[in-house]
Amino acid sequence: MTTPSLRTLTWLVCRDVNRTLGGIASMELLRRTLTASGWLTEDGHAMLVAVSRVTPGTNILAYCVGLGWWLHGWRGALLLLAAASVPASFLIVILSATLVRIDQHPVVKVVIAVGMIVATLLVLSTAWHLLRPHVKGPNAIRTGVIAVMVIGLFFGGVTPVRILLAAAIVGMLMMTPSPPASSEVE
Amino acid sequence: MSIVALYFLLLKATVTSFAGMGSLPQIRQDLVVTHGVVTDEELSQAVVIGRSAPGPVGAYIVAVGYFAGGGAGALAAWLAMITPAVIAIPLVTLLRQWLHLARVRAAVDAVVIASAVLLLASVIRMAIDSVEQLSRVFGR
Repeated sequence: MTTPSLRTLTWLVCRDVNRTLGGIASMELLRRTLTASGWLTEDGHAMLVAVSRVTPGTNILAYCVGLGWWLHGWRGALLLLAAASVPASFLIVILSATLVRIDQHPVVKVVIAVGMIVATLLVLSTAWHLLRPHVKGPNAIRTGVIAVMVIGLFFGGVTPVRILLAAAIVGMLMMTPSPPASSEVE
Repeated sequence: MSIVALYFLLLKATVTSFAGMGSLPQIRQDLVVTHGVVTDEELSQAVVIGRSAPGPVGAYIVAVGYFAGGGAGALAAWLAMITPAVIAIPLVTLLRQWLHLARVRAAVDAVVIASAVLLLASVIRMAIDSVEQLSRVFGR
């Protein structure tokens, strides 16, 4: 696995995070860009997603901080955090200041509708990429048990963080022979 | 309300939520109900602006901060939004050191599986929203 320059990484995060309407879709765009260039493996992406899910606040920001810290230390974490949050925040301040009801404009409505459909498809793609390595072989039963438990807890009104903690405990208890640790993880 | 107080109220909301819009109930309770610095209408406008603009879903609190305290309020809200993300650093550090341990690896795998299932659950809501948005656009 190679490491992109901090400037390149900052640009990619700024581009991919600020052109979607949701953090999960942004993660999927980043995964595609970074894995295609050999800068991140699927395992590395999965770990960052796990970290982002158990970190309080906005998931995509935690993902970017984790990514930046992993590849470039403190400078990477801070720069990617700024790249992911400043452009959107600046735009939101402008929209708030002018009190423009852009969602009432017909053209904007169409753009938002298309964007939501794309985001939905990207989320589906993300979920499948996360699940795919765990639905084959000896891990399939454990995956099924965890999935049923998660669905039950979710529709039972349990908060996501408690669901994730319960899944971690069940995962440890149902430990199966795992694949070799990914090479990019020290 | 002082900007520092606004920052800590918004931080309280972001640090106790685990998704972009998850902070909304706490923000409404603190800023609309308890302190009255933002109206329900302004909160709705903030959500609409946040959903209309590209970028993190949780960035809607920047609009909340702007309505509560102008430019300084927006800055306080931005800081409240990004502060919890720093917690990811020790988590990544610990996972990189411990990921070779079978039980840690199994726990991480389980969290990834659970995250994916939660995504599938949330995508149902997104799909419904998409259909409703399209219906509104085409006036059905």
